Amino acid sequence: MVKNITIFTTNTCAYCVMVKKYLGSKNMTYEEVNLDDQPERQAEAFKLSGALTVPVTLITKDDDTQDVVVGYNLSKLASAIA
Amino acid sequence: MGTKKEIHDVVMIGAGPAALSAAIYTTREDIDTVLFEKGVIGGLAAVTAWVDNYPGFIKGVAGLELSDSLQKQAERFGADIRLGEVTKIEIDGKLKKLTTSEGDIYAKAVLIATGSDYRKLGIPGEETFYGKGVHYCATCDGAFYREKKLVVVGGGNSAVQESIFLTKFATHIDLLVRGDSMRASEILQHELAKHKDKITVHMNTVTNEIVGENGKVVKVLAKNVKTGKIISYKTDGVFVFIGLIPNTQFLKDSKIELDNIGMIKTKSNMETSMDGVFAAGDVRSGATMQIASATGEGATAALMIRKYMDPHASTGY
Repeated sequence: MVKNITIFTTNTCAYCVMVKKYLGSKNMTYEEVNLDDQPERQAEAFKLSGALTVPVTLITKDDDTQDVVVGYNLSKLASAIA
Repeated sequence: MGTKKEIHDVVMIGAGPAALSAAIYTTREDIDTVLFEKGVIGGLAAVTAWVDNYPGFIKGVAGLELSDSLQKQAERFGADIRLGEVTKIEIDGKLKKLTTSEGDIYAKAVLIATGSDYRKLGIPGEETFYGKGVHYCATCDGAFYREKKLVVVGGGNSAVQESIFLTKFATHIDLLVRGDSMRASEILQHELAKHKDKITVHMNTVTNEIVGENGKVVKVLAKNVKTGKIISYKTDGVFVFIGLIPNTQFLKDSKIELDNIGMIKTKSNMETSMDGVFAAGDVRSGATMQIASATGEGATAALMIRKYMDPHASTGY
């Protein structure tokens, strides 16, 4: 089971909107970290993803294992929240 | 006991401007319409920073805002937009059977409006640094380049438009253009000239290699085809906008005829070589790759689909 989800986004990123829409369609709640508003957290997104891109979605399970999905990837998101 | 087939009047593959416009027309006629989108609702329009030439917006409109409005307008009339991928289309009696990531689905008519995607350079370093210094979406990844130097590759509308957008973040941009003239519209070139303090244009410059050190992009090697000289451009990242490729890979084993660059051939009524399967927008052979054209083609395709489903129906309103 999913304990919590954090999505790193920017204001203009259409793929970020899609990740939020997808999680919303699955009735999942999430915390959003907008890197335009909080640029100091860019390094955190980079550390998780190894990439200079958004969206980065961090999914933490009940057993505290974590999945990181870089970009808008439906099949990876689906298996990460399953 | 067999499970009941899921059958709809129309299934549209893609949910960019062409399909969303078509869906506005079909759903207003009470034609039951499902759209499948594997990427971004709004397509490339949604990832475009600013759209200046779509009619009806005096000052232009953000691509994301335009896409959102098209989606809401289509949903207002009942369009059912699903997030998933269609991998196969085949004829099944009087219906079309679509294999999707959400299971099989059947339709009386199909509209393919899968659009196109940004073309890649195919040079050393591009794959290695994909997402880590090499990018194709300025609105997504530009924010990682605050106070950094960038290279943008391309000479068309997207390259110029997105370079201007990237000046919000980058200290300087080298814009590398392969030819001796730019394909971007005159008005965009005038806009580009206003940013000459931040954007330097290099004509006749073919990008050869993206070079990194310690996992980071540090320079781009390019050849000036007039002088034959290899020039090194120091940079923190590269954004590539060198044209489009049609999203038709899923059709390569189908009976739908494609042209020599992989775009879908259609008849004058926008029907493909497969009965009852139509195509519109950037994926259609002969498309002009404009959002305004895509929405117009979507509307036309919707009327042709209506005519296909009811041969006695008029093609006009």
